[in-house]
Amino acid sequence: MSRLRNDYENSRFHRFEKWVDGEAAPTELKLETKEPVWRRPPEELSGPKLNEEKINAAVYDERHNKELKYFRVVNRLASVVLCLMLIGVLLWTVVYLPEFGNPDNPINNEVSARYIEKGVEETGATNFVTGMILDYRAFDTFGESCVLFIAATCVQVLMRLDNSDDREKMKKKQAEENDRIYEPKNDLILQKVSCVLVPLLFIFGIYIILNGHLSPGGGFSGGAIIGSGLILYLNAFGFKKTERFFTEKTFRRITLAALTFYCLAKSYSFFTGANHLESGIPLGTPGAILSSGLILPLNICVGLVVACTMYAFYTLFRKGGM
Amino acid sequence: MEWVRLIVSAVFLLLGLLVFISAAIGVNKFKRALNRIHAAALGDTLGILFMILGLVVWKGISFASFKLLLVVLFFWLASPVAGHMISRLEVMTDEDLGEIEVDHHEDL
Repeated sequence: MSRLRNDYENSRFHRFEKWVDGEAAPTELKLETKEPVWRRPPEELSGPKLNEEKINAAVYDERHNKELKYFRVVNRLASVVLCLMLIGVLLWTVVYLPEFGNPDNPINNEVSARYIEKGVEETGATNFVTGMILDYRAFDTFGESCVLFIAATCVQVLMRLDNSDDREKMKKKQAEENDRIYEPKNDLILQKVSCVLVPLLFIFGIYIILNGHLSPGGGFSGGAIIGSGLILYLNAFGFKKTERFFTEKTFRRITLAALTFYCLAKSYSFFTGANHLESGIPLGTPGAILSSGLILPLNICVGLVVACTMYAFYTLFRKGGM
Repeated sequence: MEWVRLIVSAVFLLLGLLVFISAAIGVNKFKRALNRIHAAALGDTLGILFMILGLVVWKGISFASFKLLLVVLFFWLASPVAGHMISRLEVMTDEDLGEIEVDHHEDL
């Protein structure tokens, strides 16, 4: 015969059920809580004021710390030994180097002879170096310009603001990161001088790029000059003026177009084992500005990529973004 | 005639060297940033002019000497402005400028 309990809430089974559900500990209901009795009044607990200087001096007691002394001595000794070992290894290898200026040296092989003898004839560029880097070894240069692009994109990824769904939060973040309100400094002297210098820099950079196959220079140096001109313009007049012609979108489009053109024009050499393949463009007379086939457009591509990357790095590293 | 040219160019080169040496000594001797900028700017303007004038006199007037004079022009435009920007930053950020008195113009 079962008996119906009236006080189910206090029954053992209900307590167990509650414990299973995680609502209460089995012993919780039995415990009586008392206010803790302070033996001492709480003010005394803090005790006498701790002297921070004394504690710091005791903790960072470098003079009497034997381990630290030992570590420093070992550290210095190890650095000296490492340096000596490096010097020894390098000197050891120097002994095995071929004699300087010896005509039988391995660098004086048929490759450089071929470049010097047939370079102008085959590439059409009077500047040997450009003929080498943009014709014989164009694929290397493609990798170099890709490295620049990848570096710029990596910085962009690292400096990107975290995307949050909340539009208000995003706005707040952008406002915090934005330091363009302090720009430009509107320095009259800088503005007047950059009015004169920036066009000159651009023209000089373009001249160097376009004459890459005729005289020393080429895409890399000319691009660097154009990039510095852009940076000077930005410093003088601020983002409002540069954003009219150069934003992140422009950067993306220019680099993408230049790299794609380069890839389409030259990457076949990777598949043909770096063999020369006729581009179909006549080489022209060496020394003329429109000569040497694909080298001029490739120089322009490299110059564009380098200029954009220089400018992108500058703008990215000064917090404001592009 | 050849001798005169050589001597004139040598005098120019020596003057330029003197200016450069004094600029180097000034950059290393002065303690404050503004003084050091002043010393460094001396070499970048007057020293460059003397040096390149000496070279131009030595080699005679040609297209290359024209390019050298363009280098002087570029330096005269760029170097003082760079010095001006750096000194402006120094004045704006350094609170302890010593006995140097600075007029603050907001519109500059």
